[in-house]
Amino acid sequence: MWPRLWKGGSPLKKAEPAKKKYDRHISPTVWILYIWTVLFVALPLVYVVVITFLKKGDVWGITDQFTLENYQKLFSPVYAKVFLDSFLVAVSTTALTLLIGYPFAYFTAKFSPRLRSFIILLLMAPFWINSLLRLNGWIILLKANGAVNTLLQSLGIIDEPLKILYNNGAMMLGMVYALLPFMITSIYNSVEKLDWSLIEASRDLGASPFKAFVTVTVPLTVPGIVAGCVLVFVPSMGLFFISDLLGGAKTLLLGNLIKNELMQARNWPMGATLSIAMLLFTFAFILIYKKVTGAKNLGGIR
Amino acid sequence: MKKTILRVLGFALVLALTLTCFGCSSGSAGDKELVIFSWEGYIDPELLTEFTEQTGIKINYNYFNSEEEMLAKLEAVKGGDYDIIIASDYIINIARSEGLLKEIDKEKVPNYKNLNPKYLNQYYDPDGLYTIPYVAGTPLIVYDPAKVTCEITGYNSLWDESLKDQLVVMDHMRNIIGMTMKSMGYSLNTEDPDVIAAAGEKLMKLKPNIRALDGDTPHEKLISGECTIGYVFTSQVSAVLSERPDFAVCYPEEGMGFGIDSLFMPSNPPHEDAALQFMNYMCDPEVSARASVFTQYINCNSAATQYLPEEFLNNKAVNIPDDILGNIEFMEDISPEATEQMNEIWNAFKQS
Amino acid sequence: MKKNNWLSKLFVILVLLFNYLPIIVVVVYSFNASKYSNWAGFSLQWYEKLFRNSQILRSLNNSLILAFSSCGLSILIGTAGAVGMARSRFRTQGLLENVSMIPMMMPEIILGMAYLAFFSIIRIPFGMLTLIIAHTTFCIPYIFINVQSRLVGLDPAYVEAARDLGASPTRAFYDVTLPLITPAILSGALLSFAMSMDDVVISFFVTGTTSNTLPLQVYSMLKMGVTPEVNALCTLMLMVVFGGIGLYYLLTTLLKKEKKQ
Repeated sequence: MWPRLWKGGSPLKKAEPAKKKYDRHISPTVWILYIWTVLFVALPLVYVVVITFLKKGDVWGITDQFTLENYQKLFSPVYAKVFLDSFLVAVSTTALTLLIGYPFAYFTAKFSPRLRSFIILLLMAPFWINSLLRLNGWIILLKANGAVNTLLQSLGIIDEPLKILYNNGAMMLGMVYALLPFMITSIYNSVEKLDWSLIEASRDLGASPFKAFVTVTVPLTVPGIVAGCVLVFVPSMGLFFISDLLGGAKTLLLGNLIKNELMQARNWPMGATLSIAMLLFTFAFILIYKKVTGAKNLGGIR
Repeated sequence: MKKTILRVLGFALVLALTLTCFGCSSGSAGDKELVIFSWEGYIDPELLTEFTEQTGIKINYNYFNSEEEMLAKLEAVKGGDYDIIIASDYIINIARSEGLLKEIDKEKVPNYKNLNPKYLNQYYDPDGLYTIPYVAGTPLIVYDPAKVTCEITGYNSLWDESLKDQLVVMDHMRNIIGMTMKSMGYSLNTEDPDVIAAAGEKLMKLKPNIRALDGDTPHEKLISGECTIGYVFTSQVSAVLSERPDFAVCYPEEGMGFGIDSLFMPSNPPHEDAALQFMNYMCDPEVSARASVFTQYINCNSAATQYLPEEFLNNKAVNIPDDILGNIEFMEDISPEATEQMNEIWNAFKQS
Repeated sequence: MKKNNWLSKLFVILVLLFNYLPIIVVVVYSFNASKYSNWAGFSLQWYEKLFRNSQILRSLNNSLILAFSSCGLSILIGTAGAVGMARSRFRTQGLLENVSMIPMMMPEIILGMAYLAFFSIIRIPFGMLTLIIAHTTFCIPYIFINVQSRLVGLDPAYVEAARDLGASPTRAFYDVTLPLITPAILSGALLSFAMSMDDVVISFFVTGTTSNTLPLQVYSMLKMGVTPEVNALCTLMLMVVFGGIGLYYLLTTLLKKEKKQ
């Protein structure tokens, strides 16, 4: 029950001298992660950063001329609107998945251990079916002569088929559908570790179920909530195929924009610049979110 | 609990290794192989099987989903890895300027003479050194006459207010902005910034009519009734007509855009002989006819006409009368400034 | 509490239903006699065609090998890293953590193009090796986050007790830490396996001519509009997954009975 960092030092270790703040040597098991990260994350990242400073070739590719124009163009109103739109979509998706995911994880954690793991496995199983195929399933369901419309029409509720697809609503449905499992598993990981006796204690002290939930359960599950929010927010900034498939490709989100720049506009430097901007934006968001929720350790996301 | 998990993992590992052994035994490259790189489902699998039966050359069909991705990949492997690539004219033009094409030894492709001269020596291969035309196409307007109340004569009809939220068009910047410029009477390769800007303004007015932007499966949207009118590629027009023969086709009066997809060899093909054999095979009249019927695009082989079935010749999408075909233009590459301007317009258009 | 019980169960069931709705569609259409989306009668022809379609089977094989390898590798690297970082602090720790998570935060298409350029510069031929490297790199964050999250809440007293009783650090790890973090590793592994089996964009850029993966195949087929054999394949995969889950439960029930005796 010590909600402290492992390396802080447990009271059982009084005999040893206090540890220095930083160890000189890195634990050997970290070396492999270090090397891997440097080779396969840092180096490609360097490449991406380098090309943001280069001029695009006239017809194709990249020249080796230095320029800052990519960064200058970043501040144009069109791009700013794209960032804003993507941010709003990402925030809405995160909020919706949290709204649905938290109760799901909470209820599931209260079931018996066998039922719990069964439900989680049930949740994750479809994840292994290709996501594009599953989204296509939604299109088959919701299109003008799909199951939903046919059912409603045969029941006499509507005369003309409803236009469910190819708008923002359908896109949000797809986003929530695709990202819900991430939120649920993160929160579930947290809720499962909960010491229920703490909640019982607060109830014994006279708190209503709601008060106990808000003042005890939620703060204790903050690491899970934050991890879930990050795991949902980050991809939803960059996803483009859901807005293409279900939204009719009518909106311009960051992912679409970057794809456009790289492919149709053949402007690799601009695509790279937008990606770096997105990366910095995401990091900033995580930092601010961390400060706001007061979580010191987000379970691995610093 | 831990032991069970370990046992299950162990079982999974054994399974994985077994599968690996299966995988290893079935794969063997060998000399007699041909590596094709193209869109999925773009070549009739029966034609490929017959090629293998005739020549003993195994086919390794790889897919790409966008031509720019293909070119990026091709550059990264320095024109190697692949033997035959089938792609559109404009990307071949870029590949040519990057030096990624290999000249065809015409002596090994005697069937070259069957090709229709109308489709040869175009802007992307002026001396006919590198490419074999595969199929050709032009986007057309297809619509449901029962649901569309206004008269459809050309691109300008798409702006009609009665078509609100009914239209599906391809998600392609050059095609759509080009179409807008043609509707204003200009060429779709115009580089004049004022013209492009005016086209941008006109394009914004089209947005309310557009229900979806889709270049892959717009025919599904038209067949299901989700959209009642579309500006789509040739094979997609055919697909609509095959399921909904009640739909009507319109050859836009302002003139059509045109494109030819061709076979070519990258600069460093691993199996050049096999590639040339394949090219020769595809120029065979009967094979060419079957390829066109399969893809539902315009046939480029003069000797193949006698093998084209009746319904193909009657299909308005793939058999366009010569006088209308006279009024076509290719989509060529434009100046970087014009591309940039169009890109800004397209981004703004998508956002609106 | 009893009042909540049925409400909570209903909610869980509804969400699961939402999750499975499109999958039911895929399963149903795998038995559709017509290639298109109009129901034309029951048929098993797509299953037949699937087994004769060696291309799809080969890409499935490739994908499974790829997913298992990159999952396994990322488990090793991610867990080792998380455990090691929990033990000692070093100066660049925060930086390393953040950088290793970057693959999760960048759009896949730019990562794909970066790897394309990177591998061609250092002259690694495109194929299964480049695929495994790329997939492992974006799977590591999932394992890492999960394991570190679990480690944070772990009471240090457990390990201290083991050490005090004379266990070496390695022994303490295997007997105490590992069993406690195994659920976190597993859930991270499930996620990364799913990510690997789903990846299209990065895979396209780093694959070779002999290593076509299943998601690439599915994506290309979806773009053309019809995927009947893939519907059949996915139904079969779902049955395998469910079969696996069923087997797991069978095993645990039998083991419990064993223990009781």
